[in-house]
Amino acid sequence: MLGKLLKHELRATAHTMLPIFGVMLLVSAMANVCARLTNSPGDTPVVLMIIFTLVVILFGAGLFAIGLVTVFIMVRRFRDNLLRDEGYIMHTLPVSVHAQIWSKVLVSSLWYAASSVTMVLSILLVSWDVDTIMEIGNVAGEIIRAMTREDHVAEMIAEVLALLVLASLVTSLSFDAALSIGHSFAKNKMALSVLTFVGLLVLGEIFTYYTLGKGIDYAALRTVDFIEGWRVTCAAGAGILLAMGGACYAITAFFLKRKLNLE
Amino acid sequence: MAVLTCRGLTKKFGSTVALDGVDITVEPGRVVGLLGPNGSGKTTLIKLANGLLTPGAGEILIDGKKPGVETKRMVSYLPERACLPDWMTAEGLMGFYSDFYADFDRDAAAGILSRLSIEGKQKIKHMSKGTREKVQLIMVMSRRAKLYLLDEPIGGVDPAARDLILDTIISNYNPEASVVISTHLIADVEKVLDDVIFISHGKIMLAAPADDVREQRGKSVDEVFREVFRC
Repeated sequence: MLGKLLKHELRATAHTMLPIFGVMLLVSAMANVCARLTNSPGDTPVVLMIIFTLVVILFGAGLFAIGLVTVFIMVRRFRDNLLRDEGYIMHTLPVSVHAQIWSKVLVSSLWYAASSVTMVLSILLVSWDVDTIMEIGNVAGEIIRAMTREDHVAEMIAEVLALLVLASLVTSLSFDAALSIGHSFAKNKMALSVLTFVGLLVLGEIFTYYTLGKGIDYAALRTVDFIEGWRVTCAAGAGILLAMGGACYAITAFFLKRKLNLE
Repeated sequence: MAVLTCRGLTKKFGSTVALDGVDITVEPGRVVGLLGPNGSGKTTLIKLANGLLTPGAGEILIDGKKPGVETKRMVSYLPERACLPDWMTAEGLMGFYSDFYADFDRDAAAGILSRLSIEGKQKIKHMSKGTREKVQLIMVMSRRAKLYLLDEPIGGVDPAARDLILDTIISNYNPEASVVISTHLIADVEKVLDDVIFISHGKIMLAAPADDVREQRGKSVDEVFREVFRC
């Protein structure tokens, strides 16, 4: 049933997310054209200059906002689909609460990744001309060559990517946990969700301080080589993320199962 | 085996007692009216049967099982409020129900939609409130479920639409299944009821076959209801 939930979740979110990404890419292309046309300001009419400037501002604002918008839409989707009226349909489907949570977390993480890709594509599009792209390609190639000359670089890149994926899942789960707790109350559900999220952040910081700050023997770490130290740090980071993600998952599952308070 | 059993079922919200030691059984093949004024505990009882709430004490069983994934396969539930995702179309909803419920009869659903002249390709958000309620009822009644739990299916609709809704319920439910209709509009549903359960302040006041109630009291169920719940 998880596969079916994922299919419907993707369909339900894609009709909002894809147009947003499409508009962002379109604005990037327009910003590129505007930047070229305004290369010689003296020859361009004032009205066109204003329009071009607005498009460029729109591009900057879009680039800044796209990640936030994605988070906002995913949070709203979880709330509307599981904690408001649609919850009457979703929670009476013959699927477990665990499948419900996983479908939301996986699809949210996918859209977070897609928004990052869109940001990169937007920057490429806005700076698009053959010379610039060739230059970016050359620089990227040089960086990759330099990195792969060193040992363990591929492993380190894979570890960073794995940590990013894990962090994305944990972020999603922390939003879900805060919403589930906040919406178990009779009134002020969103305000209490925000407060709970802040509380979870503070708890996460305290936990990180006592595990990474106090729990690792940094003096001993200085005696090992860089790669060994890197591995220990990554393992500690992954452990903290797993613990925080596990706690948020357990909170979300408990509140959806035992404290559901649909409006 | 009873399709719905409650034994000493109790549910509190803070200091408010919504259900207080409720004992009822619903046998297969019966159409049961769960009748009571607003705030009497009808919706709470139906939510408990759907696993949307957990009991404070006592138990509720669907076909001998506690509410969970297994019982949700057997129960077709119409919530009190329209809650369909408004970005979907009626056709999309049929796909959704077919995916999750093996007992969903897509042809039957399409047939009723067509009879009621509801466009399959129209989005829910472009439908009137009444049409949305009809679409939701069609989805619910197009399942071949063991138990239909209908929470206020005729509340908030005009008298002409009430007849249509009751007709849709009676002509589409699986005859071996049980139907529980929660309402305070007794006169409209009385004709279709086999059994009645009167509930007030979370307690069962009366549970009996509708014919027995009429025979013993010499009055319609609606009249008995007005007598019992006189303010």
